[in-house]
Amino acid sequence: MREASKPARPFSLERGYARTGYGMLAPALIVIALVTLFPILYSIWMSFNKVALTSSGIHYHFNGLANYGLIFQYGPFWYSLIFTVLYAIITVAVELVLGMLLALVMNYPIRGRGVAMAIMLIPWSLITVISAEMWGYIYNGTYGLLDYLFIHLGLTSQNIVWLGHPNLAIMSIMVADVWKTTPFVALILLAGLQLISPDLYEAAAIDGATSWTIFWKITVPLLTNSLLLSVLFRMLQAFGLFDLPFVLTGGGPGTSTRSIAMLVWDVMFRDFQFGPGAGIAVLTVLVTTVMAVVFIRSFGSDLIGGGKKS
Amino acid sequence: MTTKPAAAVQTRSSKTNFRQRTAFLRYLVVIVACLLIIFPFYWMVITSLKQPASIGSWPPKLWGFHVTWSSYAQDFIHYTFGNYIFNSVLVAVVSTILILILGSLAGYAIARLPIRGKPFLLIATLVISLFPEIAVVSPLYVIFRQLHWLNSYQALIIPYTAFNLPFAIWIMNNYFLGIPKELEESARMDGASTGTILIKIILPLAVPGMFTAGIFSFVAAWTEFLMALTFNSQNTMRTIPVGIALFGSQFTIPYGNIFSASVVAVVPIIVLVLVFQRWVVSGLTAGAVKG
Amino acid sequence: MKRTALRSALSLGGGIVLAAAMSSGLAATANIVWAASPIANVGLRAKLVQMFEATYPNIHVTMVSQPTNTNTNRATLVTEISSGSSTPDVFMGDVIWPAQFGADGLALPLNKYLPSSFFSRFAPGLVAGATYKGSVYGAPFFMDAGFLYYRKDLLAKAHLPVPKTWAQLKSEAQTLQSKHMVKYGFVWEGNSYEGLTCNWMEYLTDAGGSVFNKSGSKATMDSPAAVKALTFMKSLITSGVSPAAEVTFQEPQAMSTFQAGNSAFLRNWDYAYAASQSKGSKVIGKVGVAPLPTFNAANYPGYSNIGGWNLYINPHSKNIKADLTFISWMTGVKAQTTMATFASEIPSNYAVQKNAKVRALNPVLRIVSTVRLIARPSQTPQYPKISAAIYHNINAALAGSMSVSQALKTANSQIQQALNPNAL
Repeated sequence: MREASKPARPFSLERGYARTGYGMLAPALIVIALVTLFPILYSIWMSFNKVALTSSGIHYHFNGLANYGLIFQYGPFWYSLIFTVLYAIITVAVELVLGMLLALVMNYPIRGRGVAMAIMLIPWSLITVISAEMWGYIYNGTYGLLDYLFIHLGLTSQNIVWLGHPNLAIMSIMVADVWKTTPFVALILLAGLQLISPDLYEAAAIDGATSWTIFWKITVPLLTNSLLLSVLFRMLQAFGLFDLPFVLTGGGPGTSTRSIAMLVWDVMFRDFQFGPGAGIAVLTVLVTTVMAVVFIRSFGSDLIGGGKKS
Repeated sequence: MTTKPAAAVQTRSSKTNFRQRTAFLRYLVVIVACLLIIFPFYWMVITSLKQPASIGSWPPKLWGFHVTWSSYAQDFIHYTFGNYIFNSVLVAVVSTILILILGSLAGYAIARLPIRGKPFLLIATLVISLFPEIAVVSPLYVIFRQLHWLNSYQALIIPYTAFNLPFAIWIMNNYFLGIPKELEESARMDGASTGTILIKIILPLAVPGMFTAGIFSFVAAWTEFLMALTFNSQNTMRTIPVGIALFGSQFTIPYGNIFSASVVAVVPIIVLVLVFQRWVVSGLTAGAVKG
Repeated sequence: MKRTALRSALSLGGGIVLAAAMSSGLAATANIVWAASPIANVGLRAKLVQMFEATYPNIHVTMVSQPTNTNTNRATLVTEISSGSSTPDVFMGDVIWPAQFGADGLALPLNKYLPSSFFSRFAPGLVAGATYKGSVYGAPFFMDAGFLYYRKDLLAKAHLPVPKTWAQLKSEAQTLQSKHMVKYGFVWEGNSYEGLTCNWMEYLTDAGGSVFNKSGSKATMDSPAAVKALTFMKSLITSGVSPAAEVTFQEPQAMSTFQAGNSAFLRNWDYAYAASQSKGSKVIGKVGVAPLPTFNAANYPGYSNIGGWNLYINPHSKNIKADLTFISWMTGVKAQTTMATFASEIPSNYAVQKNAKVRALNPVLRIVSTVRLIARPSQTPQYPKISAAIYHNINAALAGSMSVSQALKTANSQIQQALNPNAL
């Protein structure tokens, strides 16, 4: 073996690295596969079945695409899907801008940076249901803090019912979400900014570049991967929107804030229709995957190409 | 002739002015952001110190109210909250450590080593991590029941590790990609093994990335509700989020109890950030990587 | 290992044998798990378990606390029981679950194991509410009903009587508001959730309407009676008697507003009396309770929706004998009296409910037997969807994003669709 490998040393070295690579990858992949593979395959399979709960166990009756047919004809599904997509796009865009601003500011060694960072992570580390309860209390239309502040500052004379009108309710949920997750976006971006050598900024500054040019010509290109990463993961999380509307509005007024995850919950755990429920879950994953792949392809082949280009 | 030095002085002073102004703006942004972030949390803290029946009073009092610690006392005496904290700490710490070890290894392999099918691997892990929790809880419950894992720590540690690993892999992959290759190549020239390179050179540089992945995983495990509720039904095995959901009764939101419990639950995270924050922002600033 | 020993010790006999064994006081030796969400008084469950174990030392009960959110509670129970888990053995579930749980094999038909004489202990109407297709799936544990709470002090000061009709309630509220004696007139539950269906049933039934016909084949909510009910509810908000935020109110928000002294009237469940008299409340000693008003004074009192909880047995339980013993004791005089005295819950046991000592405990228990009860139309497994069709659309109408007629038409067609078990 050793002799045989001698003439083609770089090649075998490469192969050796690859073997090490698979070895390093294996534990993570095994853990992921062991836990997630069965439930996911099971859900997919369930979506092609009529699932009946009986006292002698769960009965499955294969019915092809019937569940999907039902889902496609189901108006609330389309509403929830569109609502969730728009919600994800808007909140993530806002979070990205605010998060970038915070990250840029925090990237300089300012006083009290550690304390500021700890403060910023408080919302992120709150249990979502509890922060939703907190916002519910703040938004309350008869004794809420926000109404008090608005009236006190003379912005309005009457109580505003933040969660009582579809558009206001959607915006209120978005604010609560942005409050909670922007700091995390900032953290990912900050970690990315730390990779950019200060020398680059110095050199650009000496060349007379303005901060604005430096930002667009140096920071953003070098931060592409981190930006992509934060957008991607926040998008996917926003797609799973559940706790906030579940607590704040129960999907109301009417069904105007019912996210796709809430719909899955209603169909599965309120109506016990596990086949169609699984179908909606599968469709959601399909939609998000397609969106993610398109997104990655158009902006960040570098991240996913494993550095082949660099 | 006199204009030239004057102009030079002027530009210099305008430059320092500009510097001062940006420094001022920087502080302004941080302070405003921190105030906006802290204010709702402040409201939560003071609500936890008020009498439960004063919830609906108008105008709401931001200060100067009757402070009572009874909610905090109730959490620990009445609701065995200390027990929930212990379980949460254990589950979150172990799964975070597992995620960091497995995620760093996998992230490095994907970023640096010649492995086939990287795009597929990354996309596949992504798809897994975005599969709605609601859909996977029931099948997992069936498996864990067969394994007699219900009401155990592994019933939470292992799923938390599995579902949060993808993000850790992505973030570590991203971070390793950003570290200049030259560092490793020169080490390899010197005959260092992959393991040595990873431990001695790469990981120290990747600390900010690990912190991000670590904080993400910790918080995810710390706040997860549905699995913890479904898999561990014994009171002695409950975690903080589930414990809090059992406070009060059907028609009441016991703001005092749930808010005081949440305030207590946030403390470990704040401590964690304060302890480790230096790592985030000191990884590369000292100019460790030039060129 | 313990389990198998228990299993062999417990050979499941026929229903009659079990019933006989139970009535003769023989109890099995077993470990049973009881899943129950917190009841208003936090210590009550543990106290009941303790008393039960003292009576039946051979049966050990492990209590599993369920989440206070009814939907989350149901989700975990479905996950556990549908997977064939033998625990929890007994669970406390909402009164609207029998049809859904019965149809899906998630609850044991109790009348196959218990003699019909067992069910005569309950207050009228409760067993019917727990019955689906001739089988009784739940043993009523305690009941909730809607009541009108009013500010005694304000009414006395303005020389106003306790309102008997809805119109009277509204005008009295307006009087009190115009005199600046109170900020809001009337608070109730108008959020997009099950509680709105409860409120809605009270107005709808009183106006003479129904959700669907007797045979359950046709939705009937697009009716003049429904228009009358919804128009009135909406007028409460538009007239300012109820706050605009009414559409976001569940029990806690309505309660907090009333408790802070900011509303003259409150529609809430029986727990609200004790809550209004708790420490820090601004209305201690100022609260009276009455049956709900009606549209037509001749029909007084109006309808009160039935809420509350039943005890169900997991069909996969390995300790059915012990489960039945537990349920029988929990609905018996001793446990029910404790529930009333210790926690002011309305007992499901009729004898206890009518007991003079229990009635003397608080004003709510005193008038329970005078209210006219209406159950939600939960006799079909599709009820959750029907209820959602109600509260989604009624809430949208109250919030103003739909007109009254539009909301009722939409609700009606959604109910019609929900009556078909194969629809989504």
